[in-house]
Amino acid sequence: MEEADEMVTPGEVLGKATDLKAGKGAYAASHNNTIYASLTGFRRIQAPPPASNDKRPTVEVTGHKAHGPVPEPGSVVIARVTKVMARTASADIMCVGPKSVREKFTGIIRQQDVRATEIDKVDMHLSFRPGDIVRAVVLSLGDARAYYLSTAKNELGVVSAESSAGATMVPISWTEMQCPLTGQIELRKVAKVVN
Amino acid sequence: MEYVSPEGLRLDGRRPMEMRQLRAEIGTVAKANGSAVFEMGNTKVIAAVYGPREVQNRSQQINDQALVRCEYSMANFSTGDRMRKPKGDRRSTEISLVIRQTMEACILTHLMPRSQIDIFVQVLQADGGTRSACINAATLALADAGIPMRDIVTSCSAGYLNSTPLLDLNYIEDSAGGPDVTVGILPKLDKVTLLQMDAKLPVDIFETVMGLAIEGCKAIANYIREVLLENTKQLEYRRGL
Repeated sequence: MEEADEMVTPGEVLGKATDLKAGKGAYAASHNNTIYASLTGFRRIQAPPPASNDKRPTVEVTGHKAHGPVPEPGSVVIARVTKVMARTASADIMCVGPKSVREKFTGIIRQQDVRATEIDKVDMHLSFRPGDIVRAVVLSLGDARAYYLSTAKNELGVVSAESSAGATMVPISWTEMQCPLTGQIELRKVAKVVN
Repeated sequence: MEYVSPEGLRLDGRRPMEMRQLRAEIGTVAKANGSAVFEMGNTKVIAAVYGPREVQNRSQQINDQALVRCEYSMANFSTGDRMRKPKGDRRSTEISLVIRQTMEACILTHLMPRSQIDIFVQVLQADGGTRSACINAATLALADAGIPMRDIVTSCSAGYLNSTPLLDLNYIEDSAGGPDVTVGILPKLDKVTLLQMDAKLPVDIFETVMGLAIEGCKAIANYIREVLLENTKQLEYRRGL
């Protein structure tokens, strides 16, 4: 059940905390047990999930501005490789799932996260090049600077790369890509793109 | 000098309890996450909000709440005598601080830990009451940016000249040297977040002047809510819902 009714502005009373639960865009003031709106938008009331023992419906306010997506552990991202070092490669995250990000998020692919097998024999320079477009999964929030990314799955890895001649290369195996202009073969951790 | 004529009219033709005309526009800065222009008579202020975004200076990062920053400036052409003031003079740092503290009181900062919200306000035309206009513009910009707030904050000033309480002083009345009470309130929660006065006033008169300013704040709050709802309606209409 979901019903949309009136528009509200921040500070408007949405109801009593005893018969409603505050969702997104709403907050409960503890001093008078009242729920107020914290955003401008439409008030929506959602029925409680049948499994929960809390029978109060949730009230939320959906604003008009959607926030940009933020990568979280487990989400599949599209990133552009910016720098390749001996043990790590850094990449700028461009998309989270199907949505493009609004801000800059950086990710790091560590040597042990490039592929699933023979993880100690990975040569980063034979897996990625700066400029490659990579599909990866977010492992963890990483350190303060970057997310940890992993390409250790068949469908993850380089999805688009330019050869030294400047053409977009064609994948020929899971480790090789070929330049259509010169026929030169370059090594990458290629993603198996399934449609 | 006579600020209220025997007929009960002020220098600009208003009644003592009358406010100047309000006008507000949302979404005036395309690049900002939220923005607004707010006018009170001839006072015109533009506000832009960026964020919540990553903290630029990591040493300022707060682990359990958002960092709110505010920068107030006055355009060189905003006053009658064009003056080149250095950025960050005493007056503007003080007003920046006042606006920051007022906005911080209403933003639900604990929902956005380790992030920062920047509020930039610039006075385009100054005709008294810039402080209040800036706060009102910042509220609108924050609401436009979709930043969760306890309530909208509105602010209004009131003064006391010729033994008459006057609402919403303009520049001439402001520079008369009388008391000037600036009040900021959370109208729905009935809470005061800002109260400034730079003069002495007997308590009973102060109370009437402050009451007048609070009435002004509530009127502005009604106007701001109307503007916000109208803006949301427009957006929904354009989206084809």
